[in-house]
Amino acid sequence: MSDKLNKIFEKQQKQIDEPQKADEDIVQLVGFVIGDEEYAIPILNIVEIIKPIVFTRVPSVPEYVLGVFNIRGSVIPLIDLRRKFNLTPMNNTGDTRYIVMKGKNNTAGFVIDRLTEAIRIKKSRIDPAPETLSGEKGMIYGIGKRENSMLTILKVEALLKRDF
Amino acid sequence: MDDIQEILEDFLIEAFELIEQLDQDLVELESNPEDLELLNSIFRVAHTVKGSSSFLSFDVLTKLTHHMEDVLNKARRGELKLTNAVMDVVLESIDMMKTLLNCIRDNGNDTEIGMDLTDIINRLEAVSGGEEIPPPAVDKEEVIVVEEPKEEIEESDEDYSNMSDDEVEAEIERLLNEKRAETKKKKEAKKEAVQVPTTAPVTQAPTSKDNPAPPAKKQASSLEQTIRVEVSRLDHLMNLIGELVLGKNRLLKIYDDVEERYEGEKFLEELNQVVSAISLVTTDLQIAVMKTRMLPIAKVFNKFPRMVRDLSRELGKGIELKISGEETELDKSIVEEIGDPLVHIIRNSCDHGVEDGDTREALGKNKTGLIELKAYNEGNSIVIEITDDGKGLDADILRSKAIERDMITEQEADAMSDREAFALIFKPSFSMAAKVTNVSGRGVGMDVVKTNIEKLNGIIEIDSEVGKGTVIKMKIPLTLAIIQALLVGAQEEYYAIPLASVSETVRISLDEIYTVEGRNVLRLRDEVLSLVRLSDIFSVKQVYEPGEHTYVVVIGLAESKLGVIVDTLVGQEETVIKSMGDYLQGIDGIAGATIRGDGGVTLIVDIASLMDMAKGLKVNIRESMQSKSKKKTSPEDYTVLVVDDSKMDRTIMKKSMEPIGVKTIEASNGQEALTMLKSGEHDIDIILIDIEMPRMDGYTLATEIRKYSRYKKLPLIAVTSRTSKADRLRGVESGMTEYITKPYSPEYLENVVRKNTNLLAE
Repeated sequence: MSDKLNKIFEKQQKQIDEPQKADEDIVQLVGFVIGDEEYAIPILNIVEIIKPIVFTRVPSVPEYVLGVFNIRGSVIPLIDLRRKFNLTPMNNTGDTRYIVMKGKNNTAGFVIDRLTEAIRIKKSRIDPAPETLSGEKGMIYGIGKRENSMLTILKVEALLKRDF
Repeated sequence: MDDIQEILEDFLIEAFELIEQLDQDLVELESNPEDLELLNSIFRVAHTVKGSSSFLSFDVLTKLTHHMEDVLNKARRGELKLTNAVMDVVLESIDMMKTLLNCIRDNGNDTEIGMDLTDIINRLEAVSGGEEIPPPAVDKEEVIVVEEPKEEIEESDEDYSNMSDDEVEAEIERLLNEKRAETKKKKEAKKEAVQVPTTAPVTQAPTSKDNPAPPAKKQASSLEQTIRVEVSRLDHLMNLIGELVLGKNRLLKIYDDVEERYEGEKFLEELNQVVSAISLVTTDLQIAVMKTRMLPIAKVFNKFPRMVRDLSRELGKGIELKISGEETELDKSIVEEIGDPLVHIIRNSCDHGVEDGDTREALGKNKTGLIELKAYNEGNSIVIEITDDGKGLDADILRSKAIERDMITEQEADAMSDREAFALIFKPSFSMAAKVTNVSGRGVGMDVVKTNIEKLNGIIEIDSEVGKGTVIKMKIPLTLAIIQALLVGAQEEYYAIPLASVSETVRISLDEIYTVEGRNVLRLRDEVLSLVRLSDIFSVKQVYEPGEHTYVVVIGLAESKLGVIVDTLVGQEETVIKSMGDYLQGIDGIAGATIRGDGGVTLIVDIASLMDMAKGLKVNIRESMQSKSKKKTSPEDYTVLVVDDSKMDRTIMKKSMEPIGVKTIEASNGQEALTMLKSGEHDIDIILIDIEMPRMDGYTLATEIRKYSRYKKLPLIAVTSRTSKADRLRGVESGMTEYITKPYSPEYLENVVRKNTNLLAE
């Protein structure tokens, strides 16, 4: 009896382990556009992606913190990535989305111009951020090389870190 | 080993509970030395602690309590009179007992702090022997090896840690049996003792066989049935209730909307019933859960009789403390914070407030000073009042002291009301005492009071009359998680101000605001109130002109007050404080956020930080509120929006207005007009509205426009062929300024437009 059970357990364990092994060097990302550039963040850091909703301005914070909004009972900050990246602010369009990201101890919503797609990329295809860019408060995790474009992969923990 | 640990924990909990009661009883006993019941209960405490500590091999504690027990036992039998001097020794030994218990709690043993018991034991023995009490030894620091008190603890002296589990079980069983037998014996013995106290046998050092008391048996029977619950569970429960309250608010708001839209429908009645039932149950549930977190304030008050007694002995003044309302309940977290401020206030009253006996007699007062400590509920707050009948505060002396210490200028002192002068005592490093004593004079105490009360969003008021006494009144919110808030509007933003901090709201005209040395002030009855505008503090975008009148919310925190100018008062709402996460922690002026009935987020104002921010502001409110009106001189600066679905009607209206020379723009229906208005592209001064239009009619348009506070005063003129009285009434209801019926003469329309834009014909 216990032999049988053990076999089943082993089988299940195998099933759990193997797909992970296969995925080990593949990273899943979600791509989005701010200004003219495409960025991406790991899919596991995303709580949800919503259409723009009303938010409440919060006084005495930097301009890129637009305010706070209510997402199913939690009050979380809303950060405009255009302003954060020193691009000219823009009115919301039909493509504008809020991406709600979760880090270790923080959750925040980020305004992006539009979503592109879910991306699977091999770890070997990701280069570390170039020296010249790493000065940008360490927000960049790396540069993903794709067939005909480049992808800036952002560090979620850095985005969620309060820097004021 | 775990068993022992568990027993140890139980012992500590029980011991601390007993001691809390003990202090109270002892002070009472002093004024009522004949009370045998009290004496018995005090004796039982000493005895229980002794019994348990010897069981747990805490030798130092056992020895101490053993000697205390001796003294108390004699007093109980009437062989010893409890004089003040005797009480001093007993109280001191109880203090040492507390120290030992603390040591046991922190270190797990009673030898860590190396307390020297020889001195206190000598005195206890002297007391019990009826001898003169030797003075306390000067050097208490000296550590001596504590001798083993063999006699009393021989039974429990075995080494439990070497026993197997079974042996321990057996040992416990044996001890229990023994105790039970003793209890029985003891009860009989006690009965005798109570009936014929003088014939009871006198023993110098009663062994535990002679005098065991039932450990806390009686205590247990008089207690209500309770279970201990972790505070974190209650916190979680409270959070859930918070969510529920928000849900309820939302439901109420939706119901209001639905009621408006489906007036008279039958299902409304049922919906109403459900909504009110849910709202009622939610409120009850909230109160019930809040109650589980409530502790009677007696927990704090209980230590004061002892403190006042000690102080009055130390200072050589007769002081009586009268406590009332100790059953008033407060949230646990608040009870923990309130103790320190009260200690400082009462110390102050004893030291500075109450005069010594001779002075009091000379003044024709009762020789014994009276301090009253009172707690009661008032609305959603609890009020704690400390009254003394001492010499009171002299505002003039306070002023001159403050000037002396360079805390205020002479001008400021002159402008100060008496109440403001009283508030000076809360300033750090301000002390009225001529010299620093043991009790007070360092100027720290009242600052602590202020900080702690501020932390709780409470308000302090002082009232005093020279020669009559002082009243300090502290108003503290009942709970911290769910608060009543006043919703106010600053331009188009809304903020919630904790209602506990709001003392009143007043409507004033701009002329009532004065500027004194760059400060904006308002004379409110006999007080001069500093003013700030909420929109200045939070740099709210200025979108519309305030009128001639404005609202002032008077907020108070601890001892200070401030008038906050807001543009609208929305009303009172129950709010649940939500944190905005680490990212937005500690924003100036913001305590947190709450979710409103409509799902939007409203920020909650942090009163303490708001008051700080207000100090740094230098804006001339009156000027900025008046001069901001944009200068529009020529008719071309004015824009008229014409909303009509018929092209011909629009043209007729435009033609009629040509003589004025204003700019006109057009919209063909309500929806379009609203979008134009919202986009803010045009600065529209007046709108002409047709009633019957596709997509959105004129009434709806007017209602929608009026929802924006910046358009509250925008002239809206209905131009329509509907002439019935009902239509006119609806026009007024929806917020139309004027109602013109078609057909009209071009001159009439022209005049109406001129009148509403103040562009009068020359």
